[in-house]
Amino acid sequence: MLVSYNWLKDFIKLDQDPNDLAEKITRTGVEVAEVKHPEDGLKKLVVGHIIDCEPISGTHLNLTHVDVGEKELYQIVCGAPNVAAGEDVVVALPGARIADNVKIKKTKLRGNESNGMICGLQEIGFPDKLVPEKYTNGIYVFPHDAEIKPGDSAFELLGMDDYIFDFDITPNRADTLSMEGSAYEVGAITDVPVKVEGVVVKEDGPNWTNDFTVDVDSQLAPKFYLRKISNVKIGDSPLWLQRRLWNAGIRPINNVVDVTNYIMLLTGQPMHSYDARAFKTHKLVVRKANKEEKLTLLNNKEVDLDPNDIVITNGEDVVMMAGVMGGLNSEIESDTTDVLLESAIFDPTLIRKAALRHANRTEASSRYEKGVNWDATTRALDMAALLLRNDASGTINEGVITGSSVKRKSTKITTTISYINKVLGTEVSSSEIAAIFARLNFKIEINGDNLIVDVPARRWDIAIPADLVEEVGRLYGYDNIKSTQPILAETHGGYSKKEETIRRIKNVVQGQGLIEAISYSLTSLEKAIGFSKEPKKPVEVQMPLNSNRSTLRQNLMTGLVDAASYNMARKQNQLAIFEQGRVYDFENNNYNEHEHLAALYSGNVYFENWQNDNEKIDFFYVKGQLTNLFSALGINLNDVEYRAEVIMYMHPTRTAGIYIKNKYVGMIGMLDRPVTQSNKAMKDSEIYGYELNLDDIIPLILNPQTTAQSAPKFPAVERDLSILVDKDVTNQAVEDIIKANGGKYLYNLRIIDVYRGSHIAEDKKSFAYRLTFLNENDTLTDEIVNKAMNSIDASLEKQLKVEIR
Amino acid sequence: MDLFDRLKELREKGLVEINKAKNEEMLNDVRVKLTGRKSELTEILHSMKDIDPSDRREVGQRVNKLRDLFNSKLDDAKTEIVEALVEEQLNKEKIDVTLPGREMHLGAKHPINIILDDLEKYFIGMGYEVVQGPEIETDHYCFEMMNLPKDHPARDMQETFYIDSDNLLRSQTSGDQARVLEKHDFAKGPLKMVGPGKVYRRDDDDATHSHQFMQMEGLVVDKNITMGDLKGTLELMAKHIFGQDRETRLRPSYFPFTEPSVEMDVSCFNCNGKGCSICKYTGWIEVLGAGMVHPNVIENAGIDSNVYGGFAFGVGLDRFAILKYGIDDIRDFYTNDVRFLEQFSREER
Repeated sequence: MLVSYNWLKDFIKLDQDPNDLAEKITRTGVEVAEVKHPEDGLKKLVVGHIIDCEPISGTHLNLTHVDVGEKELYQIVCGAPNVAAGEDVVVALPGARIADNVKIKKTKLRGNESNGMICGLQEIGFPDKLVPEKYTNGIYVFPHDAEIKPGDSAFELLGMDDYIFDFDITPNRADTLSMEGSAYEVGAITDVPVKVEGVVVKEDGPNWTNDFTVDVDSQLAPKFYLRKISNVKIGDSPLWLQRRLWNAGIRPINNVVDVTNYIMLLTGQPMHSYDARAFKTHKLVVRKANKEEKLTLLNNKEVDLDPNDIVITNGEDVVMMAGVMGGLNSEIESDTTDVLLESAIFDPTLIRKAALRHANRTEASSRYEKGVNWDATTRALDMAALLLRNDASGTINEGVITGSSVKRKSTKITTTISYINKVLGTEVSSSEIAAIFARLNFKIEINGDNLIVDVPARRWDIAIPADLVEEVGRLYGYDNIKSTQPILAETHGGYSKKEETIRRIKNVVQGQGLIEAISYSLTSLEKAIGFSKEPKKPVEVQMPLNSNRSTLRQNLMTGLVDAASYNMARKQNQLAIFEQGRVYDFENNNYNEHEHLAALYSGNVYFENWQNDNEKIDFFYVKGQLTNLFSALGINLNDVEYRAEVIMYMHPTRTAGIYIKNKYVGMIGMLDRPVTQSNKAMKDSEIYGYELNLDDIIPLILNPQTTAQSAPKFPAVERDLSILVDKDVTNQAVEDIIKANGGKYLYNLRIIDVYRGSHIAEDKKSFAYRLTFLNENDTLTDEIVNKAMNSIDASLEKQLKVEIR
Repeated sequence: MDLFDRLKELREKGLVEINKAKNEEMLNDVRVKLTGRKSELTEILHSMKDIDPSDRREVGQRVNKLRDLFNSKLDDAKTEIVEALVEEQLNKEKIDVTLPGREMHLGAKHPINIILDDLEKYFIGMGYEVVQGPEIETDHYCFEMMNLPKDHPARDMQETFYIDSDNLLRSQTSGDQARVLEKHDFAKGPLKMVGPGKVYRRDDDDATHSHQFMQMEGLVVDKNITMGDLKGTLELMAKHIFGQDRETRLRPSYFPFTEPSVEMDVSCFNCNGKGCSICKYTGWIEVLGAGMVHPNVIENAGIDSNVYGGFAFGVGLDRFAILKYGIDDIRDFYTNDVRFLEQFSREER
């Protein structure tokens, strides 16, 4: 809502600096997002009276002489199509500044001296949407009946000397969507009495109510009133009214439509005017739309009405989408003489949904959806009628037709002064509280600690004692409330165990040099279920924004692959990124969320360097990082097993399932070629990654050890073992046998070489292992170690037919 | 030849030989030759019995003196040779220390999580519990319990991602409040929690909108919590995040789950309140929403709102990060461009 400072002065005495006032309003009531002073940056704009106007031959220009209130006339060349002698216009004098910081100088056009410029409204800063239609492609011409004289400042006449407050209202403060409501608010804030005028209508036309029937469903429109104004003469509204519309952000249209808009701005009550010719049936019906019904709105949009839209009909045709916008078929036109004036309240939710459904939110619909003052309906109708008589010389016919008039009980709230102080943490006295409610124009009774407040209908946001706490708090001033810290019994804050562990995991991974990513949880159905061993039932949202954001991910890898694609398209090929977050599925009749961790690597271990150390990231580099992670978390590495496995979107022979204590906890491997090859940026890249289900891993993680063990005191013995095996024998198979037969002093086992090639048979490969033996309590003898090695050799020979080298 | 002359000659020759030795091996040979068992000096000592007894003492002294001299010179020469060797080795090993090192990737925390971790640790220090709730939330907890009536705009299909009629992607972390309120046993003490997490709204992504973002909810409930407590809590937090010299102000606002409701602004850190394009010439930047918990929310959780009350606040973590780091496009958080993310490796708190 744009609130005019000058208009506010109709209701309250104001002498504050408008910017200071705005700050006060922001801190106490409604956020003032901006204070606009339209004349800012402009100067030397005055009223000019065009004495003569002759075309300059061979051009579209005219040569004019203009009276600007000085001794001499100004010669000005003007190219506007609507420039004419006898008109009053806006003149930018030489030295003037107009919109966009343009300076006006004396100049010569086609050999003719031009001392200034005759302006259109856009040229002096009016937004296009506010310029009356007939002046959109030319200069602005003052109405003929305007009381002006050459040389007058244009700023005052056009309302540009005003200060305009942009009220950024919250949904509960729709009462300030009117000048009267804003005045009550500003009056309360500044502690100045507010004067709101009543209205008395003297009808001067014949009674029309017997000749017209109105049929209203009071569920749809709990209040509905209709007046008829006859013999109107359509024309422009007076300048003072146009000015107020401009500053409220509304384009003047004609003296009937402008009145309905003006009254809406004044009272907050949306009004509508129909050309009475649309009601030849002498009947008006308010109902829900039928299927298949259509309406062309005033903005020329043809809409297919929905059975939940409220419509106004003449008993046959729909003439308006109630509370939203009128139909073209009942529009006020230049030859309209009789007008039906409607003041009503419609169901807020139905109006909101209709405006949303048809993408046609209006000043009226936004007021209806937030609620309007229950007590203003008939007053607004009468004020509009009076104005139509004044501005459009209409005749007010006798009688108001009431379609519905649901009564509402006034709100009385009982509370205590001590409750208000307890919540605020203040010690506001009962007389201070009484003064605050007096400023708000609320009637109260105070009896000791007890307080009864009678809330006027214009403040329909107030219903419970907590609402009164807010009124007292904000007017007492949040600035005046003392800052304190809660004094409470001690609480022991912290993370849950699970959260703590997740943080440990993230710290390790980040320490390994990975950059943390956050991806969107919503992805495509296809990506959501990829990278999983056994996809579960996916969770899809209704009405997705697009098909790429339709389904909740079941894996994090897909987000990292998207990130890789984005980065590689920007020549960032050295990647080490991770994400920790949730994945989602539907299983066992429940929506489930699991914490996952995924990492993605591409490129080299080291950045490009002069030593040409270009070690490529491969499966085993990534696996090593994962091993480090498991070690850091205290997972027994003997419990971890990697099994070659086929997983969607992962390389079929370079991917493993990860098992801890025989439970599947995640996967590691290379992105499948079809995934990388189909993407221009990732083409020919080898990208590796892993993904772990932390919900499965966290319970296996040991707490950091609290008792330290001293380092071994006795020397260890190392032995190397080199064997020749069948090429399909896995390292795991060999290690399992070594561990099973190495005896209790086998302390560590590490594979140190794998070889396939020309020196050995084609169906063979060689493995070399380094075995470390240690007795923590004594020095080991060769005898013991030899015995262990012999046992290992024998078992390997027997079980895997290896050749010991 | 006179024995004394022989010693003199031995001395001169010996010193020349020591000087000639170029390495340890040669020096060893010289040492053997000059002071070894078969050296002339030893020979002289062995032949003492042939010397005139009156000269014996003198000769003995001179021989010993000469041996001491040789030993000392030999030691000096050895030190010299070793030092030269070390120097030669060091020269061979010399590197250009100005050449760059081999760099690996440097890890970095996501900027939103830097803010989040910082806030969490701050509140944990104040005795708050960190609570995690589901992102697939029920209509019941997300809206009904939080005092958002059935026809509230946030409950529209247009605003919130529904999964079915009862389940949705939470549009606010407030549901955590309701869940915790329901479970909390006030006999065991007051409730102090923060609840961070992802939230989702049906907005098209652009520079200032994201269909996914992060919030953190705070809730304190007990018997005597006041709006002054809320004000003090928020002021301290704002100073912690945005700097000790920030000023703050509370303005009236509206949220269905709090009454009174406020928003907090901090004085613009760019212009210090003078007015600039970042604060839209107001001098203030809006940072969060808060209020006193609405009695309906307390009652909905089965708690007597005449006895218990409290405050709640909600922080947009994306917004905090945007403000703190001067980020101008919210999509930067979710496209995961490593050039954007790696700059935060030095921001860890």
